[in-house]
Amino acid sequence: MSLLEVADLSVAYATKNSPPTHAVRNVSFSMAEGECVGLLGESGCGKSTLGTALLRLLDRPARITGGTIRFDGTDITALDENALRPLRWRALSTVFQSSMNSLNPVLTVEAQFRDMFRTHTDMTSGEIRRRTAELLEMVLIDPSYMRFHPHELSGGMKQRVALALALALRPKLVVLDEPTTGLDVVVQKSIMDSVRTLQREQGFAVLLISHDLGTVMEIADRVMVMYAGSVVESRPAGEMLHPYSRGLLGSYADPRAETVDVTYIPGRPPDLSRFQDGCLFVDRCPVALPKCATEKPPLAPVGDGLVACHVAPSTKADFADSTFVRSVRAVAEAPPVLEVTGVHKTYTRRRTSVTAVDDVSFALRRGRVTALVGQSGSGKSTIAKLLTGIERPDTGTVMFGDVPVHRLRGRAMRRYRKDVQLVFQDPFAALNPVRTVRQTLVRPLRNHLGLSEKDARARLESLVDTVGLAPAFLDRYPHQLSGGQRQRVVVARALAPEPSILIADEPISMLDVSIRAEIVELLDRLVHHRDLAMLYITHDLLSARLLADEVLVLNKGTVVEDGPTIEVIRNAQAPYTKLLLDALPNPPR
Amino acid sequence: MRYFLRRTAFFVITLWAAVTLNFVIPRLQPGDPAEAIVGQLTGQGPVDPDQIRAVRLMLGVPDTSLLSQYWDYLGSLVRGDFGISYTYFPYPVTHMISEALPWTLVLVGVTQVLGFLIGTVLGAFAAWRRNSRFDSFVTLGSQFVGSLPFFWIALLLLYLLAFLAGWFPDSGGHAVDVTPSWSWAFAGDAIYHGILPALSILVTAPAGWIIGMRNNMVQSLGEDYTRLARAKGLSVRRVALAYGARVAILPNVTGFALALGGILGGTVLVETIFDYPGLGRLLMEAVGARDYPLMQALFLFITIGVLLANLLADFLLGVLDPRVRKEAA
Ligand SMILES: Nc1ncnc2c1ncn2[C@@H]1O[C@H](COP(=O)(O)OP(=O)(O)OP(=O)(O)O)[C@@H](O)[C@H]1O
Ligand code: SF4
Ligand SMILES: [Mg+2]
Repeated sequence: MSLLEVADLSVAYATKNSPPTHAVRNVSFSMAEGECVGLLGESGCGKSTLGTALLRLLDRPARITGGTIRFDGTDITALDENALRPLRWRALSTVFQSSMNSLNPVLTVEAQFRDMFRTHTDMTSGEIRRRTAELLEMVLIDPSYMRFHPHELSGGMKQRVALALALALRPKLVVLDEPTTGLDVVVQKSIMDSVRTLQREQGFAVLLISHDLGTVMEIADRVMVMYAGSVVESRPAGEMLHPYSRGLLGSYADPRAETVDVTYIPGRPPDLSRFQDGCLFVDRCPVALPKCATEKPPLAPVGDGLVACHVAPSTKADFADSTFVRSVRAVAEAPPVLEVTGVHKTYTRRRTSVTAVDDVSFALRRGRVTALVGQSGSGKSTIAKLLTGIERPDTGTVMFGDVPVHRLRGRAMRRYRKDVQLVFQDPFAALNPVRTVRQTLVRPLRNHLGLSEKDARARLESLVDTVGLAPAFLDRYPHQLSGGQRQRVVVARALAPEPSILIADEPISMLDVSIRAEIVELLDRLVHHRDLAMLYITHDLLSARLLADEVLVLNKGTVVEDGPTIEVIRNAQAPYTKLLLDALPNPPR
Repeated sequence: MRYFLRRTAFFVITLWAAVTLNFVIPRLQPGDPAEAIVGQLTGQGPVDPDQIRAVRLMLGVPDTSLLSQYWDYLGSLVRGDFGISYTYFPYPVTHMISEALPWTLVLVGVTQVLGFLIGTVLGAFAAWRRNSRFDSFVTLGSQFVGSLPFFWIALLLLYLLAFLAGWFPDSGGHAVDVTPSWSWAFAGDAIYHGILPALSILVTAPAGWIIGMRNNMVQSLGEDYTRLARAKGLSVRRVALAYGARVAILPNVTGFALALGGILGGTVLVETIFDYPGLGRLLMEAVGARDYPLMQALFLFITIGVLLANLLADFLLGVLDPRVRKEAA
C-alpha cells in the first residue's frame, strides 16, 4: 500500500472580486514509503498549493474543491483540526518555501523545538534539550546555537534549523517546498546533500517541490512535472517525454562543453481562472496537432512512467526554433570603453568596516561581455555602483575614455549616466505599476536624448521591436506582462538613451528557467548588433558561459580568477571557482 | 544589557535638555521678564509683595550671573521647589500639583490600562476569527467610535446619565461634604464620581488598540512561522498566543507606553468637561490665570512624563523583543 494517495484533487482560490483561480486541477498520484519525489514546474503552476493541500494547511481563500487525499490509510481530505493534530509533525512535516520567515522571531531556537516536543511526547526538559542538541548536530549546527533567536542565525542556518525541526519526530513524509531558494549555490548544495543523506539513513519519504530542475533531477527517485495546475508527466529521473518537460530540461547544459545550447519555451502559461478544452500547453507546444486544441490528453503510462500528451509516445519534441547556441569563438581585440584600475571600497557601519571591493581591475570593450561571477556579498553589486558613479572608490580609478568617472559630479555625472545603463535583478520591482510601457519608455528618450514628445513617441515602436515586443504592448501596464516581457521592457528602457555600456545585475535570476534563455539571447543579440559593452553580473556559471567572453570570479571582494570564459570554466584553479562549478546541477538529458 | 544602559543614558541626556530648555526659554524674552509679568499682574488687580517675590524666584534675580541662576534653578528642582503659585497664593506650586496628581493618576491610569487590555484582547479575538461577524462588528464599531470626537461622547454621557437619568453626579471628584481621607466612605464617593469620566474614556480608548492589534495579528497569523506552528500540531491556544499574539502585541506595547506620556495632555478635556480636580483642570486654570510658575512646573511635569514613558517603552520592547536588543547593542 502506498503512503500517500491523491486522487482527482482540485484546489481553487476564490476571492470576492475576481473569478476563482483553479490552481490545482484533478491531480492524482501516489507516493511509496521512503520515496523521494520531485515536483517541478514554473512559477505559479500550483506546486506550493498542492503541497499545502497535502499538509491540510490551506487557508482561505483556498479550498479543496474535489478529490481525496489518503495518508497512511486514512482519508485526511476533510478531517478536522483536532483529528489532524496527532498526525501533524509525527507523520507529516514540512519545510516551507521561504524558511527565512518560518521561525518565530521572538522565541529561541530551543523554545521552538520544545513546544513541539511537549505537544507530541512526554519527554522531560533534560531529554528535550539533549534531543534538540542531537538534531542540530545532525544538520551540522553547533548545539550552542539553540539559545539563539532566529535573527542571530544566517539564512542557511535557519534553513538547517527548519530541516532539523521537520525531522525531529521521524515523520513518514516531509514536504520540502523550495527549501533552498534564495540561498547561495554553495549553501544550497550542502543543504541538499544533508537532506539526501538523512533520507537514506532514516527512510522518510520526501516531496521535493522546486523549479530548480537540476537539483530535482539529481536527488529525486521520481520526477513529477506540473503545468497550469495539472500533472503532465511522472517518471524516474532521466529522459523526459512531455514537450513541456523537455523544454524545461533544455534550459540546462554543461558549461564546460565546446558548444552549449539551451532552449526556452516561448509564450506564457494560460490563465488559471478559465477552463479550456484540450491540452493546456497547446499555445506553447512546438509539436501540437490539431486535435490537441480540442481533446484533453489523459495522463497515461508510456515507458516507465506516465505522460499526458497525444504526441509524446511517438515523437520527441524539441525546441529548435527557440534555442540559444553558444560555441567557442574567437573575439577580435577592441579598444576598451571603460577601464577600472585597482579600485578599493570599504564600508564603515557601526565602527566595523567591511572591505567590499579590494584591488579590482578590468576593462569593458565594445561588442564584448564581461561577466562578474560570485555569491551574494562578494562585492558584485558594489562594483556596479562604482561603474555607474553611485559610489566612489576609496582608491583606484574608473576611466570612461578620458572621463574620470570616480571624480564626476553634477552635470558631467548626468551626462555620463546616459552612457551607462542598468538592468536590474527584479523586473517586478523595476517598473512603476501605474505607468504603461509607453509612459515608462518615453521618459528616458526625452530626458536623455532631449527629444520632443512627438519624436520620442515615434521612436517607441522601433525600440520595443529591438527587444522583441509587438507595438501592442506599449499600452499595457506591468501587471499585464509576464516576467520575461517585463524584463524586456526593462531592457528597452535601458537601451532608450542609446548607451555605450550596459550593466546587467542578475537579469535572469528572478525569471523562470523556461524563459531565461530567451533573455540571454536578447542580451547577446543587442551586444553584437548595437556594439555595446556589457558587464554581466551573476552567480551562475552557466549563464556566464552563454553570454560572456571574459569572466572574473569574485570572492570576498577580490578577483580570484579571470580570463576567457571557456578557459576559466574548463581549468578552474581557484578552489572557490571549483566549488561554484560543483554546485552546478548537471541533469541527464 | 548594553541596550538598557544606552537607553537610560539617552533618557538622562534628553531629560537634562528638557530641564535646561525650561530654564532658557523664559529668559529669552527681551527686558526684564519678571518686571513684565508683574506689570501684567498689576493690570489684573492689586499685587501682593509676596507674589512679586515669587516671580523673581522663578525668573531669577537679573543682577546675578546666568550661570549662578542656572545653578540655583537646578538646586531648587532637586529640592522640588518650583516656587509659589500666583493664583493659589500662598501655596507652593508643588503643593497644588501633589493635590491634583493622584486624581489624574488614578482616573487616567486605571482607564487607560483597562482600555488597552480590552482593546488588545478584542483585537486579538477579531483577528483570530477574522472575517467573522464578530470581527466585522468589532472592527467597524471601533472605527466608528474612534472617529467620534471625544468631547462629544463625554457630553452625551453627561447629558444622558447625569442630567436626564440622574444616576451619576455631573461634576467634581468627590461630594462637597466629603473631605479627602483614607476611608472607605471617601473611596466609594470618589469612585462614584469617577465613573462618568472613566466611562467616557473607556468608550474611546480601546478603539485604537483594537484596530492596531487586529491588523498586527492578522499579519502575524499569516506569517510562515504561524503556519508552521499549525503544521507542528501545536494546540490552538499555543498557536494563537505564542505565535499570533506574542509577535503582534509588540508594536501595541510600544504604542501604549508612548501614549501614556501624551495622555497627560489629553486629560485636559475630560477634566474640564467633568470639572474633575486633576492635573488637566489645573493646567487649564493656570493658563487662564497666567500662573507662570504653575504652568512652567506642569509643562516640565508633562515633558518628564513623556520621557519616562519613552524610556518605559524602550525597556519593555527590549524585554519583549530580542531583535531590538541585538540591533542596538
Ligand atoms: N492567496 C492566494 N489568493 C489567490 N490566488 C492565489 C493565492 N496564492 C496563490 N494563488 C494563485 O494560485 C496559483 C498557484 O500558486 P502557487 O503558489 O501554488 O504556485 P507555485 O507553483 O508554488 O509557484 P512558485 O514557484 O512561484 O512558488 C497561482 O496562479 C497564484 O497566482
Ligand atoms: S498534447 Fe499536444 S499540445 Fe499538449 S503537449 Fe502534447 S503535443 Fe503538445
Ligand atoms: Mg511555491
